[in-house]
Amino acid sequence: MGLISGMLMGMIFGISLMAGWRHMMRYRSTKRIAKAADIKVLGSLNRDDLKKICGDNYPEWISFPVYEQVKWLNKQLSKLWPSVAEAASAVIKESVEPLLEEYRPPGITSLKFSKLTLGTVAPKIEGIRVQSLKKGQITMDIDFRWGGDPSIILGVEAALVASIPIQLKDLQVFTVIRVIFQLAEEIPCISAVVVALLSEPKPRIDYTLKAVGGSLTAIPGISDMIDDTVNTIVTDMLQWPHRIVVPIGGIPADTSELELKPEGKLTVTVVKANDLKNMEMIGKSDPYVVVHIRPLFKVKTKVIDNNLNPVWNQTFELIAEDRETQAITVEVFDEDIGQDKRLGIAKFRLIELEPETPKEVNLSLLSSLDTLKVKDKKDRGSCTLKLLYHQFSKEEQLIALEEEKTILEERKRLKEAGVIGSTMDALDGAASLVGSGVGMVGTGIGAGVGLVGSGVGAGVGIVGSGLGAVGSGLSKAGRFMGRTITGGHSSKRSGTSTPVNSIQENGGAKPL
Amino acid sequence: MGFVSNVLGFCGFGVGISTGLVIGYFLFTYFQPNDVKDPEIRPLVEQDSETLQRMLPEIPLWVKNPDYDRVDWINKFLEYMWPYLDKAICMTAKNIAKPIIEEQIPKYKIDAVEFEKLTLGSLPPTFQGMKVYVTDEKELIMEPSIKWAGNPNVIVAVKAFGLKATVQVVDLQVFALPRITLKPLVPSFPCFANIYVSLMEKPHVDFGLKLIGADLMSIPGLYRFVQELIKNQVANMYLWPKTLQVPILDPAKACKRPVGILHVKVVRAMKLRKKDLLGASDPYVKLRLTEDKLPSKKTTVKQRNLNPEWNEKFDIIVKDPQTQALELHVFDWEKVGKHDKMGMNVVPLKELTPEEPKLMTLELLKNMDLNDAQNEKSRGQLVVELTYKPFKEDEIPKTFEESKTVQKAPVTAPDGGGMLVVIVHEAQDVEGKHHTNPYVRILFRGEEKKTKYVKKNRDPRWEEEFIFMLDEPPINDKLHVEVLSSSSRMGLLHPKETLGYIDINLSDVVNNRRINERYHLIDSKNGQIQIELQWRTK
Repeated sequence: MGLISGMLMGMIFGISLMAGWRHMMRYRSTKRIAKAADIKVLGSLNRDDLKKICGDNYPEWISFPVYEQVKWLNKQLSKLWPSVAEAASAVIKESVEPLLEEYRPPGITSLKFSKLTLGTVAPKIEGIRVQSLKKGQITMDIDFRWGGDPSIILGVEAALVASIPIQLKDLQVFTVIRVIFQLAEEIPCISAVVVALLSEPKPRIDYTLKAVGGSLTAIPGISDMIDDTVNTIVTDMLQWPHRIVVPIGGIPADTSELELKPEGKLTVTVVKANDLKNMEMIGKSDPYVVVHIRPLFKVKTKVIDNNLNPVWNQTFELIAEDRETQAITVEVFDEDIGQDKRLGIAKFRLIELEPETPKEVNLSLLSSLDTLKVKDKKDRGSCTLKLLYHQFSKEEQLIALEEEKTILEERKRLKEAGVIGSTMDALDGAASLVGSGVGMVGTGIGAGVGLVGSGVGAGVGIVGSGLGAVGSGLSKAGRFMGRTITGGHSSKRSGTSTPVNSIQENGGAKPL
Repeated sequence: MGFVSNVLGFCGFGVGISTGLVIGYFLFTYFQPNDVKDPEIRPLVEQDSETLQRMLPEIPLWVKNPDYDRVDWINKFLEYMWPYLDKAICMTAKNIAKPIIEEQIPKYKIDAVEFEKLTLGSLPPTFQGMKVYVTDEKELIMEPSIKWAGNPNVIVAVKAFGLKATVQVVDLQVFALPRITLKPLVPSFPCFANIYVSLMEKPHVDFGLKLIGADLMSIPGLYRFVQELIKNQVANMYLWPKTLQVPILDPAKACKRPVGILHVKVVRAMKLRKKDLLGASDPYVKLRLTEDKLPSKKTTVKQRNLNPEWNEKFDIIVKDPQTQALELHVFDWEKVGKHDKMGMNVVPLKELTPEEPKLMTLELLKNMDLNDAQNEKSRGQLVVELTYKPFKEDEIPKTFEESKTVQKAPVTAPDGGGMLVVIVHEAQDVEGKHHTNPYVRILFRGEEKKTKYVKKNRDPRWEEEFIFMLDEPPINDKLHVEVLSSSSRMGLLHPKETLGYIDINLSDVVNNRRINERYHLIDSKNGQIQIELQWRTK
């Protein structure tokens, strides 16, 4: 009796003990989960949430701007700045100097930093915004402002003039830096970082140039040249959609998705211009047009002498990388002895084009694209273009990518061989070369490609092939080649004169 | 009878309890799912006042305290990254644990130990505020408030004797308030040499630990005991002022201390090419190390000589023998105009054997570009003798370590005396009426020292050190520090201007050994100057 009742009692006790434990388990588990949920909710609050929590005692010092303020980061940055400045100046010198070399404008034989210190004023980060625009990617926009007092002295060597130091003063950089992190499932979880400057709002990089112990007028047009170089570097390397992709070590990942690559082909026919401004004292302007999407690939029409309503009817093909944000820039120049004058500039956004449908547009020319800088509202005439956008298929894209690579490599090789002073050299005068290159891309494989591909030893081959492939405006091209190269000739130091001469002969001879 | 019945009753109770526990276990616990669900998260606006009341203690610090900054962007970043981070961390943990398990299990007669489940859950840690402190020392201090109330699920299955037992950790919650100090700051990336982490409060830790499905942490009392145990353990190790030090850079290397001396003897040059139109060239040699900011050293000029003999000796301090190189330029001296380059060459220091003199005959080149056709022309030769002498280990000035504490004065200081070190760091908001090219003048017992002047700068930084040797502690003395501006032009109108001054009592320095403070300048609007004072004795 005692045994059974004991067992029964024990069993009931045991089961109720378990039940009690179970109850505790549940209770603690729900408590933990509730807390987790609370913490999660409190992790990101907005204004309304805060209003609800705080009621009438809303803390007035809190605001919720689109770009979140990071006062603490700025405090740390200004403290760290002396060390950062010293470390960064060495890095910048190493990484930017080759860049300067690549984008060096014609007429300057050497462009190097002779002094570079970043000054005592630390940059400010006005705000940071984090969003995820695509799965597996985090986009971080940093509103970056720097009105520093760096001391940057560029050693510029130009034709016939010994090295003159040029100081970059009052540098101000206001831009939004976009950093995209490509995520991966391995430590450190980031396989690549993409850096670019957001184009809206346009990056602002202001500075004044001052020659140390001399005058800037010693080399005419030098400040324009430097402006141009800086501008090209910024727009062609950094400004969105152009970007720098940095793979983070350790993780083999396909970063080709992130790279900018040809997306489509734009066929541009420069038809005519109307009512151009007359810039010359005697006679009328001698206009020609330069068209580009990326400043690295510029094409140029022939010059029509003495005409304010010129008709060119020349067709070029340009590669577009990002239809959403890119635009075609049209510049009309007046050919002149010495510096060519710009008659007007206009821009047309590619997004406004229907793919595969030709469109004729009439663009009114402005004195500058920067609306803040346009002083006069005077009419500068207009320019008529016929545009056709063709979206690449996968195969075409690959071919285009290859072509672009070949052209850039050729250019680099030519430069190394000392044939052309810089890649910009090739751009400016020998636009025909680039045009033809792009033309080849468009038509798939032209005769010129064979020539380029077979890599005829010297630059002669490519220049020749370039000229050959242009087809239209052969004589013009010849003339251009001649002109640039003579220009180049005078700008070169004695050492490179031999190859340049040979080019001139060949380049001139081929189209004839 | 009653006694037997009682005994039986007790026995029965005992048996009953164990069977009851087993039945209860199977009834209530065994069939419970062991996965962790995502908590249901409702937006805050929809919640009632009761839940809000419950939340109040967890309100982020940035809401309550103006000195904490909101770091929503880091939270968002973490949230997007969390799924990837989760997988990466779990993968790494598994990989690390695997060899350890394999090594250990044979000892305990266990068949297998494996992770049945390993995930950190869907909830990332959140930063509930960030606070930074600005001090005058060379360090960065930040205090983030980290709260991780996650829903991780870790199930470890142990198999032995054909049986399987599981240990499960769920719902881990860790709230901590660490202080992260980055110091010292050094001029090479990532710009700091060490990370120090310490906890400002005992951390809050909570979790569920299930042994074969039953949560041990729910046994009343046990949870508190375990929590206290963990808190105390962690506190013993990392509660401030105890710190965890993570070295990032070798500070000595980061600062580029001198490691040796290069003795250079410029012997002679031969067959130099003529540069002057009339007569022979007047050559001299300039030498410097690459990556060195010091001015280059020069030999004397040998008039009208194309085979000059110098036999001149120079000592150059080497900071990094692996990357630095000696640059030698031969110039033609001119009375007027620019000196012509006659040729150059470079000797990388890693080609030299330490302590061994090496006589080298160098071909002079136009530049270091190997492909340049102009280098094929003969420009003559230069003979130099190079000896690299690295400092012995104990000779290397370990200023870095010593600067943290106060250095000992050199032996030459008399008894009772010592060395007063004045380090002028920087100034802020100094402004002159006509020009602001500030420099600092220090007056002490009639002795005057000056810093270099900084051109046109309201917030100059000098970082200069001055030393005064004293026979007795300067208890009754004052140090006069004056910020002056000198005209950059040779103007006669406003040659000099005082931007502010300060007198510092030195008795505090003697008592404290070291004072690093920012002083408001007298006769200046908002000017401040940061000065570090040290009193070093034997």
